[in-house]
Amino acid sequence: MLVAACVKYVDLRPQVDRLTGHVTDGGTSGWSAADLAAVETALRLGETWSAPVAVVSAAPESADAALREFRAVGVDRVVRVELGLEAGVELESSDVANVLSDTLRSLDASVVCCGDYSADRGSGSVPAYLAHGLGAAQALGAVEVHTEGPGSLRLVRRLDGGRREQLVVDAPCVISVEGSVAELRRASLGATLAARDAPIDVVPVPGLHGHASPVTRPWSPPARVQPAPAGDAALQRVVELTGALVERTPPRTVELSADDAAELILDQLRAWGYLESSAQESSE
Amino acid sequence: MSSVTDFDAIVVGAGPAGAAAALELARAGRSVCLLERGPFPGSKNMYGGVVYGRILDTLIPAWWEEAPVQRWVTRRSTMIMTGDQAVTVDFRNEAWGAAPYNGATAYRPDFDAWLAAKATDAGAVLVCSTTATGLLREGGRVVGVRTDRPDGDLRASVVIACDGVNSFLAKEAGMYPHTDPSNFTVGVKETIGLPREVIDERFGVRGDHGVDIEIIGCTGDVPGGGFVYTNGESLAVGLVLSLPQLAAGDTRPEELLRRMKTHPAIAPLVEGGEVLEYSAHVIPEAGYEMMPELVGDGILVAGDAAAMCLAAGIWLEGVNFAIGSGAEAGRAAARAIGRGDTSSAGLADYRRRLESTFVLADHHRLRAAPHLVMSPLAQQQLPKLACGVLEDLFTVTNPEPKPGLRRIVRRRMKREGVSTREALKQGLRALRTFG
Ligand SMILES: Cc1cc2nc3c(=O)[nH]c(=O)nc-3n(C[C@H](O)[C@H](O)[C@H](O)COP(=O)(O)OP(=O)(O)OC[C@H]3O[C@@H](n4cnc5c(N)ncnc54)[C@H](O)[C@@H]3O)c2cc1C
Repeated sequence: MLVAACVKYVDLRPQVDRLTGHVTDGGTSGWSAADLAAVETALRLGETWSAPVAVVSAAPESADAALREFRAVGVDRVVRVELGLEAGVELESSDVANVLSDTLRSLDASVVCCGDYSADRGSGSVPAYLAHGLGAAQALGAVEVHTEGPGSLRLVRRLDGGRREQLVVDAPCVISVEGSVAELRRASLGATLAARDAPIDVVPVPGLHGHASPVTRPWSPPARVQPAPAGDAALQRVVELTGALVERTPPRTVELSADDAAELILDQLRAWGYLESSAQESSE
Repeated sequence: MSSVTDFDAIVVGAGPAGAAAALELARAGRSVCLLERGPFPGSKNMYGGVVYGRILDTLIPAWWEEAPVQRWVTRRSTMIMTGDQAVTVDFRNEAWGAAPYNGATAYRPDFDAWLAAKATDAGAVLVCSTTATGLLREGGRVVGVRTDRPDGDLRASVVIACDGVNSFLAKEAGMYPHTDPSNFTVGVKETIGLPREVIDERFGVRGDHGVDIEIIGCTGDVPGGGFVYTNGESLAVGLVLSLPQLAAGDTRPEELLRRMKTHPAIAPLVEGGEVLEYSAHVIPEAGYEMMPELVGDGILVAGDAAAMCLAAGIWLEGVNFAIGSGAEAGRAAARAIGRGDTSSAGLADYRRRLESTFVLADHHRLRAAPHLVMSPLAQQQLPKLACGVLEDLFTVTNPEPKPGLRRIVRRRMKREGVSTREALKQGLRALRTFG
């Protein structure tokens, strides 16, 4: 049995061009707290089950130094999947999961730990695609991870309203953990120095075509012109401006199908003037 | 002693001093470990913003082609202000905007990381996220450092303390006889984001040219000074304040900074900017007067750890002094290791060499400058006098005839309580200090 952790290498201080929204490498890359928690979880499971631990990351060569730090904390093997993509070009989550699952299968990984978010706050969907690709059970977004027996895990997840649910999953499985689950242990000085020359297995995956990261623009809702508040005293004007004493529609709770709920939200946004009304939209 | 933790030298702190020391040791073929407490060099460091790179000429030829620079300083202004007046001496030099340049604004996380990479390229081993928590000693001699990592003892023939101002390592080694708070100032700074074109327009520069404004009279009752520097798309606006007097008063440094930003001479420069960052750091203001022993058995001290920042009014230079002293410390350590004698006698030529360079020469010559700059005359009376004289000179008083300059000066000196004798005395003192 092998326990693996999958982590995403992300630029933690990207430079964003204010004019075009184009993102470039800020030179300080690293891992999310959740990814580091995934590595620590994998190490603990490996210790409990006396199983080897591997870290797998689809990352460029510049990630090697950061990946070696995992060797320093006791990870037995580090595999970097080389996608050969240019900076700023990304793969869809499902494609990332595809290449990672090939590598995980070749490593014979029984339990795969992921962070439930990457440092760039992606979609968080790679673990689910991984489970699908590996034909493994999945338990995502864990806030606690306990071992039940060899290859068996009990996880605690958040539910709405402060409730918790417990899940028991058996290997083969993919789990994802929140950053608070475990803090990555600190490497000893000797191990840190020794890991500088530790080997990293590189698995090239040629011929991939990603999509360039989207060009984003800042967006704010269109401003609405408000008449100046009337009243002689400042207090009167503030009261009018804030609508503090005006009778208002109380919040309401509705239970609707997804389509009807979306329609209701759009209607309300139109009523508040944030969206053009349907009549105007169709006349354009 | 495990062989993986055995180095010829350990340099603590990957600021400019530490990076230069490690670079020179590595180039001399010595094994050197550069310890840094931050996740990467420069991540914990702040300063005002101008690096004077001449010292790099010998270390990294044509450094300007690759150093991470924001703007090349082609305008240096010295501003003397009172509550709502300001006199500015503005010097523009286009030659500073071309190689080999003079000063440049740069962000420390970029600059320090770049310089430290030079050391690692030369073979130094950089270990980040690791704090040296103390010295290892054998019979009074320093033989390494203790770090905050598990099994974190590291041994070497020489330790170079480049851990910045208020160096715990130099103090632990007994190299600072005493610490006097009046030797320190605290620097506070806001980084204010503005579009490049706005900065160009407000400061009258183009392309990658930038401006350095040093200010006196902007710190209220607390002795100190101020600065405004232009980066590519941000301004560095800050104050340097006497530590004991700041502590004794009841005005917080950020309030003093806010006041300077609302001064009519500064407000139009920063207007509409977005504060991106606020930071603060202590400066070893007293320079030469507060320097520790620079050499001990198995240990050298360089940069701010040895109080080598030059804070002398119109000059606020620390990075170049740190690089200069760090490089000399690295060379001295490499020679001593080569001779097999890293006792204080074996390392003693560090101080001798520093004396023959700008590092101790400038500090020695300008040793009285910090006191002079912080004196009530320079801080309170001079700004009022300078602004008052110019006000009288340029205010048109028709139908009264124009007063003569001598009369104006005498009248203003009287009003500010400055006697001719005192003015001459202080003038002579200034000449002796800066001359
Ligand atoms: C507000 C302000 C404005 C300034 N403006 C300028 C200017 O415009 N131009 C200029 O030239 N100088 C300026 N200076 C001075 C300049 O910043 C310093 O003189 C210079 O940074 C000193 O370099 P250094 O390498 O000695 O120390 P630092 O730059 O302080 O570097 C020390 C390094 O050691 C690390 N460290 C500390 N303790 C430990 C430990 N125990 N273990 C491991 N690592 C440790 C720190 O993280 C840091 O990286 C300014 C300073 C201030 C505060």
